[in-house]
Amino acid sequence: MSGARLVFALFALGAALALPTAGGPFWTGLVTQMLIFGLLALSVDLLLGHAGLFSLTHASFFAVSAYTVAILQVRYAVPTALAAPAGIFAGTLLGLVFGLAVRTRGVYFILITIAFGYVVWGVAHRWSSFTGGDNGVTNVPFPSVGGVGITSHTQYYYLVLLVVIVCGLGYRILIRSPFGLGLRGIKASETRMRSLGFRTGLHLYAAFVLSAALASLAGVLYVYYNRFVNPVASAFPISVEAALMAIVGGSGTIIGPFLGAGVVLGLRNWVSSFIEMHHAIMGVVFIATVLWAPDGLVGLAGRLRSRLSKPAERKP
Amino acid sequence: MMTSALLQAINGVSLASLLFLLASGFTLSFGLMRVVNMAHGAYYLLGGYIGLSVAQKTGSFTLAIVAGGAAIAVIGYFIDRFLIRRTGENHLAQVLLTVGVAFVMGDVALHVWGGDNLRVPVPVFLRGPVVLPGDIYYPMYRFALIFFGLLAAAALWLLYKKTQIGAVVRAGVDDREQVNATGINVDRLFVMVSALASFLAGMAGVVGGAFLTLYPGAEWEILVYALVVVIVGGLGSLEGAMIGALIVGLLDAYGRWLLPEFSYFVLFGPIALLMLFRPRGLFGREY
Repeated sequence: MSGARLVFALFALGAALALPTAGGPFWTGLVTQMLIFGLLALSVDLLLGHAGLFSLTHASFFAVSAYTVAILQVRYAVPTALAAPAGIFAGTLLGLVFGLAVRTRGVYFILITIAFGYVVWGVAHRWSSFTGGDNGVTNVPFPSVGGVGITSHTQYYYLVLLVVIVCGLGYRILIRSPFGLGLRGIKASETRMRSLGFRTGLHLYAAFVLSAALASLAGVLYVYYNRFVNPVASAFPISVEAALMAIVGGSGTIIGPFLGAGVVLGLRNWVSSFIEMHHAIMGVVFIATVLWAPDGLVGLAGRLRSRLSKPAERKP
Repeated sequence: MMTSALLQAINGVSLASLLFLLASGFTLSFGLMRVVNMAHGAYYLLGGYIGLSVAQKTGSFTLAIVAGGAAIAVIGYFIDRFLIRRTGENHLAQVLLTVGVAFVMGDVALHVWGGDNLRVPVPVFLRGPVVLPGDIYYPMYRFALIFFGLLAAAALWLLYKKTQIGAVVRAGVDDREQVNATGINVDRLFVMVSALASFLAGMAGVVGGAFLTLYPGAEWEILVYALVVVIVGGLGSLEGAMIGALIVGLLDAYGRWLLPEFSYFVLFGPIALLMLFRPRGLFGREY
């Protein structure tokens, strides 16, 4: 890590630690959400930015994990130490099934994952005797392990921050490992990777399951923050917004999905304070991103930087 | 039991008629233009609402169908020309862009027509039950829908297989560059097919709005059904859309009847099986 980046990272960490004192509950809440949805966006981006697969079913893992935690904690009084891992396990298990989708590519993959996502939404919505229907499961407590528990949203913010930093570092190792490089190779040219002897289908399947596990973790963080879960968490808009966050921020990077989550959530929060039509505004963000910023903020920043620092190279 | 099973079959086939209207347009625009238009569900909903307003003003169901279809054909043309065309053949960009378009259209519709379940009024002669052999009463409208669907399928089939325009479209699906090189104006062809697809979606909204009702969110529910039809049948294939619509319509009807809490789950089965044995759908090809 270069000096400038280290300074930036330390500065960001300092700002993140000081946030609850400096920003108050509103900003702490918004940044907690940004970190949670950023993690979901990061899981989507493992497939999108590194393997070239556009999944629109990630809300499923997110929601199945959140529902598992909520049902276990609320109805069966299972402690966090068991409920949280069970949530990740359930979401990952679903990932093992939905991972079948990697048998297809391109547009079929997109359409099939959309259909999968609706199956989960349909179950959450209709199987009301178990999922609570549209009301979902409410009164989820704060997490607590062995007598030590979270008691406030500020404490929870620090917990989420810690989890996200650990995940970010782990993600960095993952994408720089031979496995991550293999994914990039498949994105660039699957036929070439196959002729080099890689079992590309298996590689993508493993990436899909890992990505589902990460989305499930985001689901666990979400349900303890939100304190309830309903079918909205599993719905298509969450999946597609997670992809949008990754793209708005900068697909293929680690910081990008979090930046994107901040932009999308911040914008929605700000806009919905004076306009009712926030879905339409989100729609406009989708359209604008595709037309004018397909590489996202990180891409824009990169373009700006190369324009500022290397004017000589731009001469023909 | 037998009677219910029979009724569910009719339910399924009438839903299939509706799904075919929507899926055929989706699949043809993909086949020819390689466009994945996720706004198709929003076209359906908006077409339905426009038809509803026209039906309330004029009292004519036929006029409502035509108006719903035509309005969406025009709107669809502009969206295609000024937005979708700019994404080239990047499916990811197309999906995000058209989802955005659908969000905007859905929100606009919510503000104009409100959040209640609205039903497009049906002409008097289509109201009430029809008596089938064995003293079975069945809603006349859904029965008529089956005939309407068959009619639409037959018309599309003839257009596609027996006319010169259809031949050019089929050629375009197979090899666009070659068609262009023969001197045929592919751009004009695209406009026609895209307008037809939008028209079908808008019309489907009016027809479907008369029995499924129109409400915010309906655009995504119907879109997913249409997507499953297209996945099962295979992208770009009209035959696939017909067979797929029948399979999905029937499965949905029996699923709702036998496993009401898991009716969505029933849709998952055929997709999973197809993925194991025929990832490109029944009539699909490599894209």
